[in-house]
Amino acid sequence: MLQVKNIEKYYGNQNNVTKALDRVSFDVCDGEFIAIMGASGSGKTTLLNCISTIDTVSAGDILLEGENIADLPADRLARFRREKLGFVFQDFNLLDTLTIEENIGLALSLNHQDPGKVQNQVKAVASKLGITDILEKFPYQVSGGQKQRAACARAMVAGQSLLLADEPTGALDSRASKNLLEIMTGMNRDMGATILMVTHDAYSASYAGRVLFLKDGRIFNELLKGQRNRSVFYHEILDVLALLGGDVSDVI
Amino acid sequence: MTLSSLSLRNAKRQTGDYLVYFVSIVIVAALIYAFNGLVFSQELQSLSSRFRDLSSIIISASIVVIFIMSWLVSYTINFMLTQRSREFGTYLLIGVENKQIARMFFMENLAVGGCALALGLLLGNLLFQMLRAIVFALFGTPYHFSFFFPLKAVGLTLFYFVLIYLLAQMKSRKRIRRMKIYDLIYYEKKNEEEALKASPVRRWIFTISIALGIIGTVLIMAGSLSLGFIGAGCIIAFLYGFFLSFASGVPAFFHKHPTLKYKRQNLLVFRTLASKLSTMGIIMATISMLLVATIISEGMGMIFRGIFAGRATLNGCFDILLSAHDTNEEVFTASLDYIEKNIPIKANMRYQVYLAETSKTMEYIESRTSYYRHYQYDTVMRESDYIALRAMLGYPPVTLTDGQYLIHCQPYIEKVLKDWNQNVILGGKTLTLGGLYTETFAQHLYDVNGNGFILVVPDQVAEDCPVSHTTQVFLTQEKVTEDCYNALFVLENEIMERIGWHNNTLVYIKAAEDADAAAWTAMTVFPLYYLALVLTITAATILTIQQLSETGRYRRQFLLLQKLGMEQKEMQRSLRTQFAIYYAMPAVPPVLIGVPVILNTARIVEPGTLIGASRPAAVTGISLGLFFLVYAIYILMAYTSLKKNVLPT
Repeated sequence: MLQVKNIEKYYGNQNNVTKALDRVSFDVCDGEFIAIMGASGSGKTTLLNCISTIDTVSAGDILLEGENIADLPADRLARFRREKLGFVFQDFNLLDTLTIEENIGLALSLNHQDPGKVQNQVKAVASKLGITDILEKFPYQVSGGQKQRAACARAMVAGQSLLLADEPTGALDSRASKNLLEIMTGMNRDMGATILMVTHDAYSASYAGRVLFLKDGRIFNELLKGQRNRSVFYHEILDVLALLGGDVSDVI
Repeated sequence: MTLSSLSLRNAKRQTGDYLVYFVSIVIVAALIYAFNGLVFSQELQSLSSRFRDLSSIIISASIVVIFIMSWLVSYTINFMLTQRSREFGTYLLIGVENKQIARMFFMENLAVGGCALALGLLLGNLLFQMLRAIVFALFGTPYHFSFFFPLKAVGLTLFYFVLIYLLAQMKSRKRIRRMKIYDLIYYEKKNEEEALKASPVRRWIFTISIALGIIGTVLIMAGSLSLGFIGAGCIIAFLYGFFLSFASGVPAFFHKHPTLKYKRQNLLVFRTLASKLSTMGIIMATISMLLVATIISEGMGMIFRGIFAGRATLNGCFDILLSAHDTNEEVFTASLDYIEKNIPIKANMRYQVYLAETSKTMEYIESRTSYYRHYQYDTVMRESDYIALRAMLGYPPVTLTDGQYLIHCQPYIEKVLKDWNQNVILGGKTLTLGGLYTETFAQHLYDVNGNGFILVVPDQVAEDCPVSHTTQVFLTQEKVTEDCYNALFVLENEIMERIGWHNNTLVYIKAAEDADAAAWTAMTVFPLYYLALVLTITAATILTIQQLSETGRYRRQFLLLQKLGMEQKEMQRSLRTQFAIYYAMPAVPPVLIGVPVILNTARIVEPGTLIGASRPAAVTGISLGLFFLVYAIYILMAYTSLKKNVLPT
């Protein structure tokens, strides 16, 4: 579904160039749940921004469902984002002037969906994510976990094919994090959502089927969950992180 | 770093962050100074003795301006206090005392006010020159630049500014002295207080206010004075009710019509507006009221100007007019004697105006327009007098065939008489209408050539009619001087005092009427426009400050929308729509109230007076145009700034 081919990304000017991504390549298959891990400054968010078309690559290609996103003009990119990509951010990014229902419905409204059908579609997704009873409330009236579930609902309500999550559990306590990760796993397993999650938390990454490790802008390692259970996978991830350098406590 | 240098640094930051406010203060300082210049300008005062009341009128207007400005400054200062609560909390946290913060904030505002005043004085000199040029043009005196920097005007402006800031600072000083660290630091986490809390109540208010708005507009449009007052009351209730309940009316409306909610940019536009208005309902309604006052002030200014200019134009064909029922009256003879001795005359003529047997023409006009009846019967003039008067005034000659009569009237009566074809019977002789003429003919004075119209008939027919009054008209070799006409009026007053005010003589001097028109225009239009400008600036500044304070939130919102795939064009459209509605909301009710008020006031004026650019429709158009011009400048400033800082590239 997603092919990342040899992408490079540089920042800065002639005198001072920072290489944020260095020949990164990987594929994401349909229905896969993949996590990208790395310490701060390893290029995780840059990679996610490039895939989400918010940022552009300096070299290389990104193909989503066979379409090279580098070739798309600005207006097509916007359409591409709203039709194919769903976003979940660390700080929720819900609009505080809209209710939860309206925040979710906004994604459909941006897609010029028939206004008469929006409410029903929102209700359908909300019931799957267990947030039906908070639809009338404003973001400041609900908990962090509920906000993040609303963000997940927004990311999939318009039938987006790829869900991009940037540290989705970063602002949640451990119980809400677990709940959210289980919901994301459910979305992946039961609804066939393809998920690409950036995280520096090994516990979150252990919910994914595959983990890519980034260090200094390059892919350093890759772990596949296979048939192992989550707890074993979690420890394997910690081992790789130890190899990556830095204190384990930094990355948990 | 000392506290005073911190104050200065903050003052610099304040002018940058609140540029629109700073510019407004500069403009108002300039206006105050320019008008103070008029108060102290000996040169302008010497143009006419009729200017003597100008000073007190301008000072009265300035007092109103001081109150409006202190409200604006107080509002902005308190708004800044709220926006910068975290900063003030930090000062308290590091041990600065409330007293010191109050002093620091006062110093900061003093520095901003001082800078604005200094710039305002410079700009004010330009504005003063503009006002000088206008006054000169009104008096027909050629304009020449002469630098004038009256220290008294500077002193008075400074005094006004001190008053403005003292009044404005009272509230904020108290607030700073009472503030607590916790409240300040966690201010952003608090939800803003809403003026009306209970939601169902608000929904009711919303519905009732909309109904009141519609009723009020209909009543005002009905045109009667008493209904108009009730209508205006309804609109005021609508304004406060509507703006206080709008924020809850929107969700209620969306709840009932979910389909409309998700249509185009409705959701974003109305939700953003509702969140903005939920905390500024009262201020929006007050702004709306200010704008009502603005449009009415401008309209009234234009109408006053129109009345004076109209009178001067309609009667201005002769330089001097004397008219009396009895030419032996002392005022008539003494005035004539004075004129003959003191004023060089180019041409003069004495003639009589007669009364017809019926008032058929007058009745016809009365039935079609709000004509002011003055004579019992239609007024009549001899053909030979008419022809001689036309020749004297240089109008094209006319001829009257036997058995015909002519009508000479004001242009507005020509429209009324376009289907008039009735015959006139005088002394048993029937006359048919031979033509209508509308050149300026001193028909706006009751005792000269008829009121609005006169019938011109063959000499022998007129001579059989009773005489109404005798008129003597003069064309002078040069403009009658102020000394001359003042002397004539003094003479008239002396005689009248002596004979006990029994006088039927009219003495009219064009130069005096022109001077009156110029002086009254300056004395009514200047202060009304001065107030209108300050009101528009105040309202637009508050709206703009509120809108620009949301820059950060809008930026985050549009960044998210960009990520969610909203196109640039759609973002622009959404911002534009929201902007248009935000600025239109407080401006629509004033237009609904202001336009009927102006039109109805113009209707009270004697018909035919408001001509040219002073026609009621033109007055309304110009008033609205001027208001929207100033308003649009602010909208444009705010929109450009927001578009640049808010929309992602």
